[in-house]
Amino acid sequence: MLSTPVLEIDGLTVRYGGTLAVDALDLRIGAGETVALLGSNGAGKSSIVNAALGLFRPAAGQVRLLGRAPAEAVQAGGVGAMLQHGGLPSEARVGEVLALVRRRHADPWPLDDLAATAGIAGLLDRGVDALSGGQRQRVLLALALAGAPPLLLLDEPTSAMDVAGRQAFWTTMRGLADRGHTVVFATHHLDEADAVADRVVVVAGGRVLADGTAAEIKSRIAGRTVRFRCPGTRDGLAALPGVTGIGGDGDLVELATTDAEATLRALLGARTGLPDLEVRGASLEQAFLHLTTDQTTANGALR
Amino acid sequence: MTDLLLFQLRRVGRNRQYLFFTVLLPALFTVFFTKVIGGQLAPGDYQEVAGSVLVSMLAYGAIGAALGATIRIAFDRSSGWLRQLRVTPVPSGSVFAVDVAVGALLVLPSLVVVALVGRFVNGVELGLGTWLALVGSLWAGSVVFVALGVAVGLALDAQAAGAAIGILGTVLAALGGLWFPVEQFPDGMAAVARTLPSYWFAELGRDVAEGAPAGAPVAVLGGYGVLFAAAALAVARRRPLHAVAG
Repeated sequence: MLSTPVLEIDGLTVRYGGTLAVDALDLRIGAGETVALLGSNGAGKSSIVNAALGLFRPAAGQVRLLGRAPAEAVQAGGVGAMLQHGGLPSEARVGEVLALVRRRHADPWPLDDLAATAGIAGLLDRGVDALSGGQRQRVLLALALAGAPPLLLLDEPTSAMDVAGRQAFWTTMRGLADRGHTVVFATHHLDEADAVADRVVVVAGGRVLADGTAAEIKSRIAGRTVRFRCPGTRDGLAALPGVTGIGGDGDLVELATTDAEATLRALLGARTGLPDLEVRGASLEQAFLHLTTDQTTANGALR
Repeated sequence: MTDLLLFQLRRVGRNRQYLFFTVLLPALFTVFFTKVIGGQLAPGDYQEVAGSVLVSMLAYGAIGAALGATIRIAFDRSSGWLRQLRVTPVPSGSVFAVDVAVGALLVLPSLVVVALVGRFVNGVELGLGTWLALVGSLWAGSVVFVALGVAVGLALDAQAAGAAIGILGTVLAALGGLWFPVEQFPDGMAAVARTLPSYWFAELGRDVAEGAPAGAPVAVLGGYGVLFAAAALAVARRRPLHAVAG
C-alpha cells in the first residue's frame, strides 16, 4: 500500500538527560499520505518531528527524508515545517521574512497564491511584532509552504489558533493533501486527526502504540472508563467483556472498555459492591496508556 | 547572503532604542563633556580636552554599537527565529556570519556621527588623514567587541542579554576611563582600567590621533580579540544556534 517512502525512521531513540523520549521507534510514511501523530503531551511527538528534521542528533537510529539525510533534504527545499518552538524575527515585516525564505527556493510558490493559501494576503506589510497568535501561525505556515515542498511536517500547528482559525487551517491542509503533498502533523486532538488524516499513528511513551486508519483508531479510543474502589484482588478484571486495559492508583481501579454496558453487567454480577463507581468517556491517555503491548496484540489492532 | 545582510540591517534600523544609545547618546555626550570640561580653557588646552573627549566618545559609541548589534543574537534565539531558519534552506552558517558582519557594519554610523560632531560642533582640528586613520583604526578595533557581543549573545537568554547590553557597555565605558579620564582615577581603579579592553581601545584612538605608534594597544586588543572569539566559538559549539534552551 505504501508508495515511495518520503519519511523513513528506523530504530529512532531520543534521550534528554536520563529521560527516554523516543524508544527505538520505526515509522514509514509514503508519498501522498496524510498522517497524524496522535499522542498526549510528552508522548514523544515533538521529538520525532524534530529528529526527522535533523534538529538534533538522536541517541540511536536513522532518519531518511525524501531519501536523504534530514539536513540535506531541508537545504534542498524538499520539506516545509512548522515547529512548536519556531518563531519570527522581531522588527521585521511579514513580506520581508517571506521574501527572504522564498528566495532560497529554486522554485518558490508564487507569492500571491502562497499568501492567499496561508491566509496572510492582508498581512504582508504588517510588522511581525504586531501579529496575533493565530496570524503568527499562518505566517509560519506560509514560510513552511514557501518552496511548495512535497513534504510538510507540522508540530501541533493549530495550538495558537481559535476555532475558526483551526477550521480554515485544516481546510487548507486537506487542499494541499489533495494536490499530492504529503502532510504529517503532530496533534493531541483526536478530532483533528480524525478530520484530516487518512492514517493515524498513536504515540505514547516514545513508541508507536497503534497505527491505522482514522476510523480504526477512533473506534478504539471512543471507549469508556469504568472506575471504582477495589481494595481486594484484581484477578479476572482484565477478562471482563469489553475491557481493553486496566489502570489506576492504589485501590482505585480504572477499566478501559469498548462496551461499558457489558463490562458493568459482568461487574455487577460478579461483585457485591462497587464503591465510588463512575463511568466516563475515555481520554486519549486513558484509552491508550492502559493498554499493554500484549493485550493490544491480542486485540489485533497493532500492525 | 546580501539579502540576509540587508534584512538584518533593516531590522536593527527600525530599533529606535539602538539608534539612540549607539549614535545619538555618544554624540550628545561628546558635546556635553566638552562644554563642561573644556568650557573655560585657553584655546590650546581646549583642543587637547576636546580631542580626548572625542576619542573617548568614539570608543564609547563603537563599543555600544558592536555589543548592541551582536547580543541581539540572543533575542533571535529566544524568539525561535534561528530555529525556524534551521528548517528553511537558509544556511545557518550564513546567519551567523551575517550577524558578525552586521555588528561590524553598525559601528561605522556611530563613529562617523561622533567624529562629525567633534569636528563641526566642538571644533576639534585634525588633518584629514588623521581623521580617516582615527575612524578606520577604531572601526577595525571594534571587532574585539563584536566578538565579545557574539559570545555573550550566544551564552545568554533574551532577558539576561537585554540587561547585558546596557550593563556591559556602561561598565566597560566607566571603568575603562571613557567618561572620566583614567588620570583622575584613584590608583587601584586606574590599575583595573588598564586591564580592560575598553581602556586600550581608547588608547588606540589617542595614539592614532596624536600620530604616536600604537603597538601596545594593538597587541592587547589582539589578545582580547582572540580570547573573545575563542569564547564565542566554544559557546556556539555547546549551544547550537537553533537550540531553544540548554
